[in-house]
Amino acid sequence: MLKEVHMPKLSPKSDEYFFGSWLKEPGDTVKTGDILFEVETDKVISEVQSQEDGVLKEQKVAEGDATKVGDLVATIEVN
Amino acid sequence: MIYIPVKTLDIYHNFALEYYLASEKRFSEPVFLLWSTTPTVMLGKYQDALAELNLEYIRQHQINVVRRYSGGGTIYTDEGGDQFTFIQPDNQQMIDFKAYINTIATALNQMQIPAIATSRNDLTVNDRKISGSAQYKHNGFTVHHGSLLFNTNLEQMYDALHVDNLKLRSKHIASILERTMNIQTIRPDLTNQSFAAELQRHVLATVANLRTYQLTGAELDRIDIIAKEKFADPQFIYGHTPTTELSKKHYFKGGGLVKFDLTVKHGVLTELHLSGDFFSSLDQHTLAKSLLGHPFRPDQVRPILIQQLQQQPILGISADDLLALLFS
Repeated sequence: MLKEVHMPKLSPKSDEYFFGSWLKEPGDTVKTGDILFEVETDKVISEVQSQEDGVLKEQKVAEGDATKVGDLVATIEVN
Repeated sequence: MIYIPVKTLDIYHNFALEYYLASEKRFSEPVFLLWSTTPTVMLGKYQDALAELNLEYIRQHQINVVRRYSGGGTIYTDEGGDQFTFIQPDNQQMIDFKAYINTIATALNQMQIPAIATSRNDLTVNDRKISGSAQYKHNGFTVHHGSLLFNTNLEQMYDALHVDNLKLRSKHIASILERTMNIQTIRPDLTNQSFAAELQRHVLATVANLRTYQLTGAELDRIDIIAKEKFADPQFIYGHTPTTELSKKHYFKGGGLVKFDLTVKHGVLTELHLSGDFFSSLDQHTLAKSLLGHPFRPDQVRPILIQQLQQQPILGISADDLLALLFS
């Protein structure tokens, strides 16, 4: 089954974040709690963790993109 | 809270100390550090060194360049500034600056410095900035660090960070001096040392269950390794930006117009075109060939330029003139 990963709300002040870098690539095994990617907002670098166990299927956002809260960021194939 | 005395002005060591505390030591209580650095420019995690810094000025004045793990903009600090750090376990994803900033503002207020926190999480006195902060969240910990201007060399700050026309320099410095302020101007009775000591005393006085922790020799050795592997790594500092395209031109009196168009990928020069109306038999393809593939930094480019111009000089223009054009 394919699960969608959406950009969580990280800042009380802003809903638009700079997408910093991927820490998992398509095909990588991910476990709940693994760091998927890093974003910057309001002078803060935050790590976003996986809520699923599975395999990262697709990255929907590129490093350096502007993203909004709720945007589809990735898909994870879970068993 | 745990207070850890910081005994070095080495920025690479001090950033490694923060990282060590958040990633390996992982105290269950909050940690507070108060420290300073030798002259240093600090880039935000995703900033482009070539776009933010005057690298030729930085080379000439032996200023350290470091990249933070936190976000935000580039700052300049030196022994006239103070850095504060709070590190604590934090499982909240939501960002919060207030508690940290208010602790510093309260301490400053007790020192008759009327600092106010702004909506951008800076501290100001009479609308002039005296402090900025940034954070990174790593592995369940928040590292909040900020910088205070006490007696920082603001002109050097301007020269190291700004890349623009010399004619506008004095005007821009005036505007920086209007927007920022050294705390010493309102507490001229304090020295760098007495300001830091007072600040430390007032911050620690607000804390319950304070204890001081001294780092062991083994811990300091481990921090030095992190400093070398992570924070002093030129690839991390200069190679972080995927692609920078630059166009630099200048008319040299008695030499003519020189124009460079270049592309830098992950800190390495990948394309270079030289044009202009200068007088030289220098072949631009030979020059490009000698420079392509090298890290695009003044210390790397300078010896190559000197060697190329020794063989094929440009009338009225030196290697250092070209270096200043490329990196200023």
